[in-house]
Amino acid sequence: MAAAAAPDHLFHLRNNFYLGSFQAAINNSDLPNLSPDDAVERDCLVYRSYIALGSYQLVINEIDSAATTPLQAVKLLALYLSNPHDKESTIASLKEWLADPAIGSNAILRLIAGIVFMHEEDYIEALKHTNAGGTMELHALNVQIFIKMHRSDYAERQLRVMQQIDEDHTLTQLANAWLNLAVGGSKIQEAYLIFQDFSEKYPMTGLILNGKAVCCMHMGNFDEAETLLLEALNKDAKDPETLANLVVCGLHLGKSSSRYVSQLKLTHPEHVLVKRASSAEDSFERAVQSVA
Amino acid sequence: MLTKFETKSNRVKGLSFHTKRPWILASLHSGVIQLWDYRMGTLIDRFDEHDGPVRGVHFHMSQPLFVSGGDDYKIKVWNYKLHRCLFTLLGHLDYIRTVQFHHEHPWIVSASDDQTIRIWNWQSRTCISVLTGHNHYVMCASFHPKEDLVVSASLDQTVRVWDVSSLKKKGASPADDILRLSQMNTDLFGGVDAVVKYVLEGHDRGVNWAAFHPTLPLIVSGADDRQVKLWRMNDTKAWEVDTLRGHMNNVSCVMFHAKQDIIVSNSEDKSIRVWDATKRTGLQTFRREHDRFWILAAHPEINLLAAGHDSGMIVFKLERERPAFAVSGDSLFYAKDRFLRYYDFSTQKETQIVPIRRAGSTTLNQCPRTLSYSPTENAVLICSDVDGGTYELYQIPKDSIGRSDLQEAKRGPGSSAIFVARNRFAVLDKSNNQVLIKNLKNEVVRKSGLPVPTDAIFYAGTGNLLCRSDDRVVVFDLQQRLVLGDLQAPFVKYVVWSSDMESVALLSKHSIIITSKKLVHQCTFHETIRVKSGAWDENGVFIYTTPNHIKYCLPNGDSGIIRTLDVPIYLTKVSGNKIFCLDRDGKNKTLVIDATEYIFKLSLLRKRYDHVMSMIRNSQLCGEAVIAYLQQKGFPEVALHFVKDEKTRFNLAIESGNIQIAVASAKEIDDKDHWYRLGVEALRQGNAGIVEYAYQRTKNFERLSFLYLINGNLEKLSKMLKIAEVKNDVMGQFHNALYLGDIQERVKILENAGHLPLAYVTASVHGLHDVAERLAAELGDDVPSFPEGKEPSLMPPAPIICGGDWPLLRVMKGIFEGGFDSTGRGAVDEEEEGADGDWGEDLDMVDSDGLQNGDVTAILEDGEVAEDNEEGGWDLEDLELPPEVETPRVNARSSVFVAPTPGMPVSQIWTQRSSLAADHAAAGNFDTAKRLLSRQLGIRNFTPLKSMFLDLHTGSHSYLRAFSSAPVVSLAVERGWSESASPNVRGPPALVFNFSQLDEKLKAGYKATTDGKFTEALRLFLNILHTIPLIVVESRREVDEVKELIIIAKEYVLGLQMELKRRELKDNPVRQQELAAYFTHCNLQMPHLRLALRNAMTICFKAKNLATAANFARRLLETNPNENHSKAARQVLQASERNMTDASQLNYDFRNPFVTCGATYVPIYRGQKDVSCPYCTTRFVPTQEGQLCTICDLAVIGADASGLLCSPSQIR
Repeated sequence: MAAAAAPDHLFHLRNNFYLGSFQAAINNSDLPNLSPDDAVERDCLVYRSYIALGSYQLVINEIDSAATTPLQAVKLLALYLSNPHDKESTIASLKEWLADPAIGSNAILRLIAGIVFMHEEDYIEALKHTNAGGTMELHALNVQIFIKMHRSDYAERQLRVMQQIDEDHTLTQLANAWLNLAVGGSKIQEAYLIFQDFSEKYPMTGLILNGKAVCCMHMGNFDEAETLLLEALNKDAKDPETLANLVVCGLHLGKSSSRYVSQLKLTHPEHVLVKRASSAEDSFERAVQSVA
Repeated sequence: MLTKFETKSNRVKGLSFHTKRPWILASLHSGVIQLWDYRMGTLIDRFDEHDGPVRGVHFHMSQPLFVSGGDDYKIKVWNYKLHRCLFTLLGHLDYIRTVQFHHEHPWIVSASDDQTIRIWNWQSRTCISVLTGHNHYVMCASFHPKEDLVVSASLDQTVRVWDVSSLKKKGASPADDILRLSQMNTDLFGGVDAVVKYVLEGHDRGVNWAAFHPTLPLIVSGADDRQVKLWRMNDTKAWEVDTLRGHMNNVSCVMFHAKQDIIVSNSEDKSIRVWDATKRTGLQTFRREHDRFWILAAHPEINLLAAGHDSGMIVFKLERERPAFAVSGDSLFYAKDRFLRYYDFSTQKETQIVPIRRAGSTTLNQCPRTLSYSPTENAVLICSDVDGGTYELYQIPKDSIGRSDLQEAKRGPGSSAIFVARNRFAVLDKSNNQVLIKNLKNEVVRKSGLPVPTDAIFYAGTGNLLCRSDDRVVVFDLQQRLVLGDLQAPFVKYVVWSSDMESVALLSKHSIIITSKKLVHQCTFHETIRVKSGAWDENGVFIYTTPNHIKYCLPNGDSGIIRTLDVPIYLTKVSGNKIFCLDRDGKNKTLVIDATEYIFKLSLLRKRYDHVMSMIRNSQLCGEAVIAYLQQKGFPEVALHFVKDEKTRFNLAIESGNIQIAVASAKEIDDKDHWYRLGVEALRQGNAGIVEYAYQRTKNFERLSFLYLINGNLEKLSKMLKIAEVKNDVMGQFHNALYLGDIQERVKILENAGHLPLAYVTASVHGLHDVAERLAAELGDDVPSFPEGKEPSLMPPAPIICGGDWPLLRVMKGIFEGGFDSTGRGAVDEEEEGADGDWGEDLDMVDSDGLQNGDVTAILEDGEVAEDNEEGGWDLEDLELPPEVETPRVNARSSVFVAPTPGMPVSQIWTQRSSLAADHAAAGNFDTAKRLLSRQLGIRNFTPLKSMFLDLHTGSHSYLRAFSSAPVVSLAVERGWSESASPNVRGPPALVFNFSQLDEKLKAGYKATTDGKFTEALRLFLNILHTIPLIVVESRREVDEVKELIIIAKEYVLGLQMELKRRELKDNPVRQQELAAYFTHCNLQMPHLRLALRNAMTICFKAKNLATAANFARRLLETNPNENHSKAARQVLQASERNMTDASQLNYDFRNPFVTCGATYVPIYRGQKDVSCPYCTTRFVPTQEGQLCTICDLAVIGADASGLLCSPSQIR
């Protein structure tokens, strides 16, 4: 990183996006005098914020065919997420674009590919496009993929690359926290400190609160976790992770969490917790059959 | 060298510090003696009576005296309070070089070019001894600080030590002195009372100065041979110890430092040199360009030195005395001597933490300058000036505060280093104007250029730096590389943040600037003397110190003195009225201050009137200063309550618009001016009654009439007309008539006054034709003509309403008054708020609206402008790697990268590691979990366990939203986490059920049983039984407890089932009795057993099974029941003893021990065959074998099982 003190205009926007204050990212995106590259990045972040907020249709409608490759990629993500029943066509066009040497190496496109293939749980395919890295986001995504694959050794290697580029980058810190949580043990506390740092530096977001709460849960401190989660629930009553973690917390505290479960089932029927619960029920029945 | 004060004058030949006051005397070559206040930098006095240069000057230790000696051979003793010379001591026959008071005796020692040293008694004003022996000019002579010795230096190349102990005897009675006077004179040049003790020879040229060590038997001397020599002496002899070479010209003066092991000398080579007294090496040299040095002086108590030279003098100290410290929450870290120390504000305890490196005394001023602390990492950064700026990083061991093994600190060059985040610190690299961000391993993580040329950095919140340059400070965001705030400020020396990090105080040499965290200026305070330190109190008041005061600054820019100080202190924390500080010796001190004044002012400022009130009531705040302050700050209504003087009271009342008090005061004062002013104020408020009253009192009829006109009070107006008539005031009459619209009266007045034409015009215009004709007749030819086309209009409009006050201005009144009249404080508060709200509000709303709008646009504009500037000024630099690098990488990936195979999920590790069913269930491996349970406990029926299994599974993972829009990461939660657990080593899953929950359920079950809620109780006990198979505990002991719990729960389930069954059976009294009887044989808690026994007793008694009932009664009595119950039991016993029979035969033999079958509820007596449940151990009659246990509803009766496995300790 050069010593010249060039101000980073997109810093806040990126930060807001990474830390989950999507509405703030959208609201504060009206930055004047951006270079064309920055403007494209800005638009990507804004549309991805909309996607994160679930406004898929808005993104699909607003990005027309004349838009740049990164934006098209973002649109693909919106298409993929908006229409779970017609994934195939989206994936097909994604693969087609990736194969195109002219645009196939675009960082955003590869990032979107990584995300889509992660949703498909095809981690190998995802890594094919993301492992080369190139942006902090791609590296961070790699960390997450490796965590998902339970390969914390690889994740750590990715993290080290990120740390070499910029140790204090929000994504580096976040990825560090993810990895710390994934490997557990004494690292949990470090993860907690990272989230704590965020909460001191930036406005509280559901993501930060959830991060802290998860750390607390892993440290066995479910009371504090619940307090944090309720605070997060105040910020966003529909946040699926908040609800899911509240369910878990409630169970450990011996409190009824059925309301959170049904809320989650209503708003996010596809959530991991819901899916896990239903598959567990099935496997319970199966097991009853087999044991009996 | 830290120069504290400098003067420009003629050559300074003599210097002397005052012991207590910040004063120094300088005697000049011109003959003038100057008295300076070196702290304030002012010339206090000058004494000009010597003729020719004054070479020696000295303050008395305790009296307001000083002595001087000059080239006019005179020794003068002065009283500085009286600003005059008291007397002159004559005797020397040549220039006098030095003079000095004895610290104890009323003596003065003087050295002169007449080759003698004389000792004088300044009380008797006589010379008591003449010390002869030197055979050249004596350049200096001084008393030993403790012993009866004098040391002198002479151009005869010797230093002499004189024993003056005999003088003491001589001076024992002052009367003697006078008697001996004649004898003394004869003794001249041959006195025997003071004798030479040692003659120190060694210098090759004339010796200019010699001085004793304050405590050790050492002498230091300086001579024209450019050497400084060190001498030692004992009782019998004295010898040369060493020579310090280095000066390039005559050494003028030399002395030992009182507190450090150093020697200070100065010379005509224009330098001051500092030497190590032990190693005898030069430490430091301070040079002046053009001025030769002549004299040195040391402050007797504090660490100050002074040196006189050709064109003035300097007051300086060699080393800074401010201890480096950092405050974090309730702890203070500071450096003292060679240790980092820790002080706890709450307990006021201090501890030594780690030793810190001490740069050998090769140079001075190497002690720590600043200290920065990171609470989470427990690390300390210490900066010092060693090697032109060095920082050291110390890690404080967590547990062993006080253990003092020297650790090798990580260090690096850099004049400023501070923590900018938990585990990051910034080091200033001045030469490249950049900061290096380093981690705790002292590795550079990042470099960042600074926006302004910076010579020091300070903390400014996480990730931010406050950069100081000569005339400004900026707050710089390291991550965004943006300047967040910028302020012109004189050279900032220290930065103090408020605890909420919202405000910051920038301390410069002579000023304090308070700003917001973005450096938006709030107020500036100027001092004439140095600002030493500061700290924020909890209320947002900034407390600071100067060398002699503790002062406060309020947010609105007011400041004031809290108390005076004797010695400078360095504030570390302010908490309530307690001030914590460090003194110059690095000792922690606590001062209690009177915070009333500034808290009072702050409360006023914040409009906390309730506080203000209670403070007024409870403390002695009164005083002109407070009244003046209140008045000046616009709180006359508050001041009102302090004042007794009627005129001031009136003024304040008028100012605050308190009419009632003003009226009362005006009555007291009763002069025209005050009534008039009352009238003006009342008019402003619209209080017509008071206005009228005031006008009446001042007899101001014209105003009164006008008031009535405005009020429409015609009645009073006509009275006024009458009054005017009586007073024969024509003009007044006319006015009143005009106001009244009474034309006839007007005409009459005009006529009477002789203005006939006017009277005619008035009459004719208003249609009074008969009068007009009459007047026309009188006027004759002089009848005036009328202008055309004018309508008469001199009629006042008729009043719509009449009299009374106008709507009054709402005056904020009575907030304090009410309070003083001892009504409740709360009520007063409300009233106050009401008053504010009533009419202030609308206006406020408009105001704030307008303001907000304005603000918003202003901010927007600001933002845009700022953006614009940045765009122009800085090239945008992309954070990401440049695309050129990217492309080859992308190509490379397909060929090189091989994706790793997925690793093993944590849940799988769980199942592999554990044979506890709960762990398997948590891992979602229900299949194996069930197999385990059926093997261990013979459980076949899993339906009751379903929800537990699912809960365990759900509770085993938490969810983390990682990358936006990417799938959520689920993380395995492990149980038994500890700080020291190593990462990547998988612990067992965290389970949602634990033993303590069961304990609570058990209690709830007991309670439900006591309350007779049997269904509820049964549910709870069953739940316990159902949960236990999935419980995991740590120790063997707990395993036993779990097993006990199974038995307890089982007994209750059985008992409760029987009881419920009994209640269903309405028509089978025998079976009812049997079940009730069996219930009493379940292992129950005493209260429950008692209830069961009573129950059984009653049932059997009613069914006339008296013998059985008697048995129950007896058992009941054994349990020590309460009064009622025992009474009933005794009655049953009595009744049945008369007739020990049973009416019906029961399958119940209480003499024979038995257990009850869990399914059929029949007794299984000892010796009879039974089968039991492998889990809950309930016994059953053999026919039940192979059936599902009716108690736990889980296991199969009589099945094979290895037993409960609920703890890893069972497996090890």
